[in-house]
Amino acid sequence: MSNKPINEMGWDELVPGAALYTFQGDIDYNIAEMQPEDRLYSETSSKAMSVGDWRVIKPVWNSETCIDCQNCWIFCPDTSIIARNKEMKGVDYEHCKGCGLCVSVCPTNPKSLLMFNEYETVEDALGKWPEKKKKGE
Amino acid sequence: MNSKEMNLKGVEVWDGNMANSQALRQADVDVVAAYPITPSTATVENYAMFHANGYIDGEVMMTESEHAAMSACIGAGAAGGRVATATSSQGLALMIETLYQASGMRIPVVLCLVNRALAAPLNVNGDHSDLYLTRDSGWISIDAFSPQEAYDMTLMSFKISEHPAVRLPVISNQDGFMTSHTAQNVTPLKDEVATKFVGDYLQVNALLNFDKPVTHGVQTEQDWHFEHKAKQHDALMGSKKVIEETFAEFKELTGREYKVVESYGMEDADVAIVCLGSTFETAKLAIDQIKKEEGIKVGVVAPRLFRPFPLEELAASLQNVKAVACMDRSAPGGTVGALYNEVSGALINFENRPLVTNLIYGLGGRDMTVAGLKNIFRTLDKDAKDGKINGKIQTLIGVRGPALSFYDVEGK
Amino acid sequence: MSTQKVIKNLKSFSTAAERFEGSHLLCPGCAHSIIVREVLNATNDNLVVSASTGCLEVCTAIYPHTSWDCSWIHIGFENSSTAMAGVETMNKALRNKGKISEDTPTPKFVTFGGDGSTYDIGFQWISGCFERGHDMMYVCLDNEVYANTGGQRSSSTPIGSSTTTAPAGSTSYGEKRQKKDIVSIMAAHGSPYVAQVAPNKWKDMVKKIQRGFDTEGPVFINAMSACTTEWKFAPNQTIEVSDLAVDSLVFPLYEIIDGRELNITYRPKNIIPVRDYLAAQPRFKHLFTPQYEYIIDEWQKRIEARWEFLQKREEIRL
Repeated sequence: MSNKPINEMGWDELVPGAALYTFQGDIDYNIAEMQPEDRLYSETSSKAMSVGDWRVIKPVWNSETCIDCQNCWIFCPDTSIIARNKEMKGVDYEHCKGCGLCVSVCPTNPKSLLMFNEYETVEDALGKWPEKKKKGE
Repeated sequence: MNSKEMNLKGVEVWDGNMANSQALRQADVDVVAAYPITPSTATVENYAMFHANGYIDGEVMMTESEHAAMSACIGAGAAGGRVATATSSQGLALMIETLYQASGMRIPVVLCLVNRALAAPLNVNGDHSDLYLTRDSGWISIDAFSPQEAYDMTLMSFKISEHPAVRLPVISNQDGFMTSHTAQNVTPLKDEVATKFVGDYLQVNALLNFDKPVTHGVQTEQDWHFEHKAKQHDALMGSKKVIEETFAEFKELTGREYKVVESYGMEDADVAIVCLGSTFETAKLAIDQIKKEEGIKVGVVAPRLFRPFPLEELAASLQNVKAVACMDRSAPGGTVGALYNEVSGALINFENRPLVTNLIYGLGGRDMTVAGLKNIFRTLDKDAKDGKINGKIQTLIGVRGPALSFYDVEGK
Repeated sequence: MSTQKVIKNLKSFSTAAERFEGSHLLCPGCAHSIIVREVLNATNDNLVVSASTGCLEVCTAIYPHTSWDCSWIHIGFENSSTAMAGVETMNKALRNKGKISEDTPTPKFVTFGGDGSTYDIGFQWISGCFERGHDMMYVCLDNEVYANTGGQRSSSTPIGSSTTTAPAGSTSYGEKRQKKDIVSIMAAHGSPYVAQVAPNKWKDMVKKIQRGFDTEGPVFINAMSACTTEWKFAPNQTIEVSDLAVDSLVFPLYEIIDGRELNITYRPKNIIPVRDYLAAQPRFKHLFTPQYEYIIDEWQKRIEARWEFLQKREEIRL
């Protein structure tokens, strides 16, 4: 098969039936037991694309207040909350669409995920973190 | 090969349906998913009987409709094994969207299509409406004119379909009732020889191959669709070469020779008919008789291979005749018949310009007799001698009532 | 049968190695992908997945990108179930012929279809698969409309909902028909296990998915998929609306075993009024007018009647 990027291929170089391969070459391991960072994705996996430009607001994660409950992990529709070894690692900004579900399900006080403008840096955002809300507030 | 062999006689007496069933059995199909419909039902029933008696190692799925039958074939084929089904007429019409899906996804499938008229009115008998409906579906389409040929073609269909340069589904056609329900002598191959000829199934992008996860059945928009359809068309056109090679290999094995365009009597013919199916066999009789009785030299040409259409070979076969009648066994739907279109389209860029007419005949199982054909030959002969088409371009032959013809001829 | 993956709690669940990639084209806040992730992460076995034409299929397999880290097939709108039946049968055939070794664990066969495909155009196909008893799991992603094509009604659309082909107007309150009871219909096929799930109640859902994976034969899962685009709430409210749905009993969570034994698997601590569920979705906003307000009361009555019925069935074990 050609080594060209797929966008440069002519009809004669494409896989018949418009079939798509997720990974490069053959796999000899159980995918379900290999974290994504250890897999060799092909350029035709959607993982290779970015939808970060869909966002106008983005979630920022505050590791100080986070309790690793994993609510954000399970309810992210875009596989963009990264958890490893039962701990939150952060937001995958390449694949996050800014829906805000992670913020809505975060149980801490103050929340450990909050939405900020796309153009704000993470550092600035963390600097603006609200205080703990008192009862009745 | 199936674990339980069937000891076949040197010459069996089979109808076209049994010929199909035996070919399917010997081809060691992994999954047959099917739905019954006249007149292809017996292909499936015979196969189910073989299965019930231990002659089939593969699985049989009796689905709830023909669309489901082809859907299951596509799923099973994509999973990575040999699949086949059989249907006719309304069943074919019901599964039509899946035919396009199968060929677009490049899944090898063999469909035994026993040609039957399409409703309405409802009719269970043989004509080519369903064959014509598959024209643009992207399948390879081969026509058998007798039970022997039905057996041979169905067996070869697997080899053609699964060839690495092809990977396209194949339709093995035969006339409903006229072939499917007529028992004739068939010389079959022994089980072991047949299975060896078809060979092992070659897995390509199999869903059950977990070493290489694959996504089948994508959506392509304006930036990709054309490339994939172009690739598919290229493969379909290129399959002719594989078909000819398979025919050659089959000849080595059996002595039976098949060509992409069959002909009879064309060596010295002045006029010719072009047709499909069992009419070819009847025509051979009529041609011999009329030559002896009336001295009219006529030949018959039949595309054995309907898709990919053998345009060049067909045009070449008609270079020495003065008049051609294209006989279409399907309701023409407001225009000239498919064979007329394809033959005219073939001839237009070649040297010879014979008179070309279109005859619509035999709809819903109405017989085309030797006598009927001789009348057609006489008309052709007269037109050729007069140097012009005496009637109109299209005539419906053999229908009770006033003569029915369409399309005037200008200056010819 | 392969050993079940053990999922003790959300933290241990989060160690799953994802097989559904981001950068698919589903709407921000879409519940479909939450459901798919929960299903796929519930097993470590090899997977063959199929999907019908619809939001999920279109958004995860537009050439030249696929979001599936497993074998996947789409044929058409009606036939994702039959496609999978074909795969399952081929697997059986190849195993019987020794072409797949006996030591290879059987993969999980999972089909996804929207309510359009499941309740309407693909219904016959699913019925056929369940009648033939293939070993597969069918997950209906139920957002109660044909979402992918802009929100036309399906037979899953609940009464009073406004859709583009049954819109609310001055002379109509929208959908006139009751939502089809797909779970009962599938249970009546003799399926060993059918269940209704919602992705917000992940523990209940994953438990049922795992039970489904562990069950031999055809399993039907009806998954509520709250649709931000068609139900018209904000993308970050998907879980909130899902909570309202299960807590108001509009979408009760239960399972039926062998077509007979019904178990209610979630009993809300506080049952909230149906009105609150409807109020959260602009697709029902026309019901909050004097002309159509009676529909809300009708809803409440019917939801309560059905809850009574479910409890009775649970009691008599039939």
